[in-house]
Amino acid sequence: MINLKVVSPQKVIFEKEVEMAVLPGAEGDFAAMPNHSPFISSLRPGQMVIMSANKVDESFFVSGGLVMLKEKVCEVLVDQIESLSDVNSSNYQQSKTFQELEGNDTALGTFEQVVNNPPYK
Amino acid sequence: MPNLKELKNRISSVKSTRKITSAMKMVAASKLRRAQDLAESSRVYADSLSFILSSLAGNTKNSSDLPEILTGRENSKISLLIINSSDRGLCGGFNSNLFRNAKNWISEQQEKGKSVKIITVGKKASSFYRKTDLDVISNFDDLNSNDKQLQVSEEIKNKIMELFENNEIDEVSILFNKFVSVITQEPTYQSLIPLSNEEADEEVTDTSNAVFEFEPDKNELLEYLVPRNFLTQIYRSVLESSASEHAARMTSMDNATRNAGDMIDGLTLTYNRTRQAFITKELIEIISGAEAV
Repeated sequence: MINLKVVSPQKVIFEKEVEMAVLPGAEGDFAAMPNHSPFISSLRPGQMVIMSANKVDESFFVSGGLVMLKEKVCEVLVDQIESLSDVNSSNYQQSKTFQELEGNDTALGTFEQVVNNPPYK
Repeated sequence: MPNLKELKNRISSVKSTRKITSAMKMVAASKLRRAQDLAESSRVYADSLSFILSSLAGNTKNSSDLPEILTGRENSKISLLIINSSDRGLCGGFNSNLFRNAKNWISEQQEKGKSVKIITVGKKASSFYRKTDLDVISNFDDLNSNDKQLQVSEEIKNKIMELFENNEIDEVSILFNKFVSVITQEPTYQSLIPLSNEEADEEVTDTSNAVFEFEPDKNELLEYLVPRNFLTQIYRSVLESSASEHAARMTSMDNATRNAGDMIDGLTLTYNRTRQAFITKELIEIISGAEAV
């Protein structure tokens, strides 16, 4: 298990032990698992998922940020994050992320894409 | 002998002042709790970010490889100071301490042959520095909500990035009241350009056993990190300053309430004595009148 800690500039969003987390790194998606080599990367807008037993447990949209990966700890510094369990293709335009991303075409485009057709299901 | 009516009016006016100050104290106390929570919860992000930045900068052996915006320019001529004051008064020495401190800092810089530019945050600073002959670049005020605080921090960050790129400034520092405890707030400087390594030094032990890989490469990461770090540090100073402001207001309003109470006690005593003296005087007049008959 790896300790996944998701932090926004305002607060710690959540912190929990997970089996595996897949993150949208700037140069491609990568999975954070225990004993990964120390690694720092920026994030592109995309989908972040928490997995256990090869199934997606939880799914989020992140609008960008940074990740610092150590042996047992994965710290994700996000700009904006939204859980995709309560956002779907019919109501995403009312979501907080949608409103905050207005004017940011790439991130907003990715958000729409992720909501309508998430890469990890 | 004091006039009874006058005394009575005096007492009631001090009483209503006491009501106001005690209400302000309670408002400040509840706002303080929120501000303190915000300041503390934002610390996690800021700490991680500066850890990443320092391990990135520490990883680069030759400091000349680092961009100027991290290391500062040689022969820096123009310093920028960002002063975090409050929008409202009635908070004791909060602002005056800050301005006194800033004055010393500015004259120190001028002795070193640097010129000083200023960005003010809060109405108190903008009205104070308007009267001086210092170069005030911009003012930001009405920081009454958290969203606004973040937005202002973002604007300040953009401003300093732009000024630095246009060679209009060489160094940037922030001055804010650091929240030490409810009764102590400390005017504190933090250097943004060049990057201060205070925090980096503390965590050296932690970095030494983990050599990070970076993706994308360091320069691209730095390009992303540097502005983000400015934003976070500015935002953090704004939050600290707001927590300090509420704490300062709470303490000074508490004192004011207590002083008003003392004053009321004193005045009531005088009032009662005077009233008693009047009664005695009237009695004497009646008795001596009756005796005369």
